[in-house]
Amino acid sequence: MAEVKTLHFESNPPPFGHEMRKCFSFDPEYINMNHGSYGSLPSPVAEAIKPYYAMAEANPDLFHRFTSIDLIRNVRERMAKFIGAAHTDEVVFVPNASHGLNAILRDFIWEEDDIICSCNTTYKSISKTAQYISDIPPHPEYSQFTILFPTTHNEIIENWRTYLQSLNEARARSAHRLGRRPKIVAVIDSIISVPGALLPWKEMVKICKEEDVWSVVDAAHSIGQELDLNLADADPDFWVTNCHKWLYAKRSCALLYVPKRNQHIIKASFPTSHAYISPKKRTGPNFVEQYEWNGTLDFVPYISASCALDFRAWLGGEHVINAYCHRIAIEGGKRLAQILGTEIIDQDQDFQFTLNMVNVAVPFPATMSSDFEIDMAFRRKLLIKKKIYPAFFYHNGKWWTRCSAQVWSQVSCLLHSYFPHPPAGSIPGRRF
Amino acid sequence: MQKNEGKGFIEPVTLDDVLKPNQLFRHHRASKFGHEFLQYYSFKKGFLNLNNGSFGALPKAITEAYNELTAWQEDNTDYYYRIGFIPPLIGVREQLAKLVGASDVDEIVMVASTSTGMGLVLRNFLWKSGDIIIRCNTTYGTVYKTIQYIHDTTPGVEISQFELLFPTTHQAVLESRAGKNTLTNAPQGSKIVAVIGSIVANPGASMPWKEMVKISKDAGVWAIVDGAHSVGQEPLNLSTSGADFFVSSAHKWLNAKRGCAFLWFSKKSRDIMLTTIPTSASYVSPGPERPPTNIISQFQYNGTIDYTPYLSVHFALQWREWIGGEAAIQEYCNKLAREGGRRLAETMSTQVMDPEWRAGAFGDGLFQVNVVLPFSKEFSATYDASVSTALRNKLLSQNMFAVTFYHRQLWWTRVSAQIWNEISDFEALGRAFVSICSDIVAEHENAHIPPESKAESFYSYLEHPFQGAVAYDSKDGVGAHRPVTATAVVPVGYHTHLASIRP
Repeated sequence: MAEVKTLHFESNPPPFGHEMRKCFSFDPEYINMNHGSYGSLPSPVAEAIKPYYAMAEANPDLFHRFTSIDLIRNVRERMAKFIGAAHTDEVVFVPNASHGLNAILRDFIWEEDDIICSCNTTYKSISKTAQYISDIPPHPEYSQFTILFPTTHNEIIENWRTYLQSLNEARARSAHRLGRRPKIVAVIDSIISVPGALLPWKEMVKICKEEDVWSVVDAAHSIGQELDLNLADADPDFWVTNCHKWLYAKRSCALLYVPKRNQHIIKASFPTSHAYISPKKRTGPNFVEQYEWNGTLDFVPYISASCALDFRAWLGGEHVINAYCHRIAIEGGKRLAQILGTEIIDQDQDFQFTLNMVNVAVPFPATMSSDFEIDMAFRRKLLIKKKIYPAFFYHNGKWWTRCSAQVWSQVSCLLHSYFPHPPAGSIPGRRF
Repeated sequence: MQKNEGKGFIEPVTLDDVLKPNQLFRHHRASKFGHEFLQYYSFKKGFLNLNNGSFGALPKAITEAYNELTAWQEDNTDYYYRIGFIPPLIGVREQLAKLVGASDVDEIVMVASTSTGMGLVLRNFLWKSGDIIIRCNTTYGTVYKTIQYIHDTTPGVEISQFELLFPTTHQAVLESRAGKNTLTNAPQGSKIVAVIGSIVANPGASMPWKEMVKISKDAGVWAIVDGAHSVGQEPLNLSTSGADFFVSSAHKWLNAKRGCAFLWFSKKSRDIMLTTIPTSASYVSPGPERPPTNIISQFQYNGTIDYTPYLSVHFALQWREWIGGEAAIQEYCNKLAREGGRRLAETMSTQVMDPEWRAGAFGDGLFQVNVVLPFSKEFSATYDASVSTALRNKLLSQNMFAVTFYHRQLWWTRVSAQIWNEISDFEALGRAFVSICSDIVAEHENAHIPPESKAESFYSYLEHPFQGAVAYDSKDGVGAHRPVTATAVVPVGYHTHLASIRP
């Protein structure tokens, strides 16, 4: 069986901080404050996957019909262990988290009075997916749970329970009227995108089980940022994560996790595979087979996830990497908030919402518009003019900036975004 | 990338700014077509590639361009994804629009593969009971099964299957099609949607698709054309074709990087497209607030992907110009397919599917040819997945490949003629098949092939493709029954494995 080669390194890795930029291929003048959106490809990983591209061209038929399928099975096994899945066959590759989440949400057989719910903080394309599902017959209801920062994990957990209970009351009324029990499907972020915040998703999944609600976890930011994942324990109904974000795989590469008990929900891959068997003719699951081939793609990004894990092991491993990033996020966030005269969105003294992303309020007046135009202005002034760009977003009456701390980051980066030459004690508000 | 170093700010760039000027284009004239052309490709030494049709092949020059485009992507990823890729991607769509005769750039969007594009169209229709979808027995597996899936998940959606049995003629197909009752049989208020292949995969045969589109439209039927093999192989003029949708792969015959196809829709048909899959953040619910071009915005960004395969089209088109242009490529490959097919049939003492290459026949204008394999009629009487596996395995072990398939109680090979091929390649393939086929017959007698591997036809096998998948062990001639599951990969014979899961 073909196996993905393990990467070996001759020397020690550079220290964390600006010297780590040697391992990446950024424009030297660009300060990367937004790893969270699209990820970054380490140069050693980019080099390590070139032989696979060469294989794909040396004999396209051998590669696409045999070798790549083997290699990807190999990587799936490794990834399944990494996220604590009970079986390799509960994990398949998809191009990105949006794709995986769409496969799940679209394949439920929706009926009238079903409820699909997400949060106000759900990633926009996913809430639009839910909106679309509600827009087309049979028009299941689209409901939204609200999370407003500042808040705490406990508050969110309590509110979530109350919310699901109220949905259950509505469901009981529908069931009485319809003579059958509608389903409720909840999309839960493990780590919200904007603000970049870790949610108590495992507790929320438990509550879903208590309330007989399907839990679809959008864990786009989890792998490589959230430590010690153990999906067999957490036991969500579905879970999807992007390997090209915090795990350093090549774009685009994501994992779709579906425990065996739920594989019948996903009737068809997208696109549908030739290996699809009509559900009434199935004698077993028809899940992995469909995802092994459903159209010609560049499969090397899936293979790169394994190389990425080797690179991260070389840097010191998951705990070492994330301890550094977490520290920079907290220290840098505090420093930035101090200079801007504002606050970090995570008001909890233990920073329970903060992993490697930190969100700091932008010192605009309270009357500042929430218009998309403001984000466009930041792109012009920062990304294009100064080659630096943390993400910007509007939440609960304020504009915020989300900075991603990475292995190349130092606290000075966060400050650089506003002050190329930091003046001591100046008031920043007027710059914008 | 080069343009923006040392400036402290970023200027918009075109792709020609990003890519270093290609030394090949500047300093060399392309060589003649034929084996000399192999120098521009990255095939393993001695690999006889007679199957461009499945996965295409990336010229070295475009691999270089791809590497540079990737470096640009990593240079400043935020800039690339929020601003940078947008103008070049529109530029690629404009170039494709011109190439395929679209009347507007907004009739063309990029998708990852033809399977994806066809899936997007079929799943965007709002299906209801009484609707009918027309497919052929030869419709490509992923599309065939997408239709199956829609039928399985929407009560009352019927499938009408149109049988194509080769060899036949365009005329015969059109006559039977026009006579097909289904075209006028839909209940009131229902729709009929026809999936029409422009060039069938197995066999590799061109269809009279424009006439079939016309017949469909005259009967009020939606016409979705699966044109996977078309772009780069046949000239296209989509705005006058009458089709509602057309999807084609750029990574097959157009030299783009794998993971690149386009979806064309007429302006009228655009309203069917409600959402991309995955749905984009820019999706607007149907209604008066939704701009008519919302689907175009959705296609621009609907989840992080690598745009480089799409952008590689820009360079692929320059490459094709440099090597001689569309007409020269067309002439060489079509001539070689005809002559090569004839030689191949002679070498194997069998026949070409359409020996006379009559006008209006299925090989006309194509770069692919179908030839019967030297098995006896008795041996070929029923489909056997293990034979399919053995053919593939043995071809690859001899450092060559061409597609093999089963149709109408015969085993065939579909051979692609490309600009790196010559007649001698077809002869070499023929000699290889003669020995491979006789080996398979000898081994098959003593092998223990499970009954699930056999079926009346390939199409009935496709209903349960995995039940019949076996690893064909030809090493000791006593093939053991080794069923393949998703994770049990069994080393077989002289190379690792398993029944290819692709038909």
